[in-house]
Amino acid sequence: MISLFRSIFAPPRHLILLVAALWLGLALAEKRTERHGISREALNNIVFYSLFGYILGGRLLYALSNISAFVQSPLSLFSLNLDLFDPLAALGAAFIVGLIYGSRKKLPFWSTLDALTPLFATLSIGLALSHFAAGTAFGSPTVVPWGVDLWNATRHPTQIYELIASLLIFGWIWSRKAASRPGILFLTFAALTAAARLFLEAFRGDSTLVFGELRLAQLLAWIVLAITLFASESLRRVAKVD
Amino acid sequence: MQQTPRRIIYFVVLALGLAWMLVSADRSGVSTSGKIPAPQQGFLAPDFELKTPEGETVRLSDLRGQAVLVNLWATWCPPCRAEMQSIEKAYQEYKEQGFTVLAVNMTYQDDPSAVMPFVDDQGLTFSILLDETGEVGEAYHLQSLPSSYFIGRDGIINEVVIGGPMSEALLRTRIEDILR
Repeated sequence: MISLFRSIFAPPRHLILLVAALWLGLALAEKRTERHGISREALNNIVFYSLFGYILGGRLLYALSNISAFVQSPLSLFSLNLDLFDPLAALGAAFIVGLIYGSRKKLPFWSTLDALTPLFATLSIGLALSHFAAGTAFGSPTVVPWGVDLWNATRHPTQIYELIASLLIFGWIWSRKAASRPGILFLTFAALTAAARLFLEAFRGDSTLVFGELRLAQLLAWIVLAITLFASESLRRVAKVD
Repeated sequence: MQQTPRRIIYFVVLALGLAWMLVSADRSGVSTSGKIPAPQQGFLAPDFELKTPEGETVRLSDLRGQAVLVNLWATWCPPCRAEMQSIEKAYQEYKEQGFTVLAVNMTYQDDPSAVMPFVDDQGLTFSILLDETGEVGEAYHLQSLPSSYFIGRDGIINEVVIGGPMSEALLRTRIEDILR
């Protein structure tokens, strides 16, 4: 079953899982968007423009950071190679484009993020599945009975851990009746995701290390967790004053 | 929930997170399994020994110290054919800096008689190797053609590119990475 899944969605087909998650997540977000005061049209538009920003920004910023390679073959800018892409820069570009669209249309910031939360939660599930299919985000060698054979060692099935965490977070988010205050739903999702990453990164075999032995992803997840907890506390305090 | 108990919970959560980060620090200093051979970024490139169409034997591990592109290809695969000229151009541009190409033909699933006419027609000057038994295809868990592995001077895979054709800019950025 696992090998069949991996065979069907072997790279580069694992990206199908992300596209499917995007489509499903948008459909789910649409169902609940009006309870956050965001119209379906506005939700679809912000996703469309952000996606456009993601694709364009990811390629352009990659080209800018490797300018000498692109100067010699400028047509590579239009290449279908998905590897000519900077995913972090793409996320930044998508966020900026979404922010510009939201402010032009006067969409409330926190309510918009709440409306988008089911999409983010579904994308997390898609990401875990794509990691599983591609064998990336793999675990460290282990002797636990549930270890999986991957890359010539028995390893922690970190992609499965990631999938379970994503499903639980999605289930929790989806089971909420209505957010008591705008922003709390999104911040809860962000805090849970950061906490899951902080915990699960310890079992990864591909961590980038900083300061000699600390895992960079854990450090970033801890910072995100602290920011989200602080922000949710601030939102609650502001709501109480109002 | 009251504000003060919630703040205490947040503080405890952050303190536990910090403790977990320190407990789970990687004291070996290397998180990736760099010495285990596997066809994945961060791992040692699986070694192989194959013959060229002229009968010369080439072993990957003998090229340690050079930056190597292992490209798995077949003559019937259009993107493989399409990227060969870009690879040749990159090879000519970077070979003086210690870059080499091993283009491993998946001969066990190709027409052996079509290999050399294709190579001659394209004017390829880098090493062409014949995988007649599928050993390299198996060692590199081949799923799609073309598959390219950019291997650093230390023998560790720096980048895997599945599918193609690879553009010249992609080749340049990856080659410059492995030459560093």
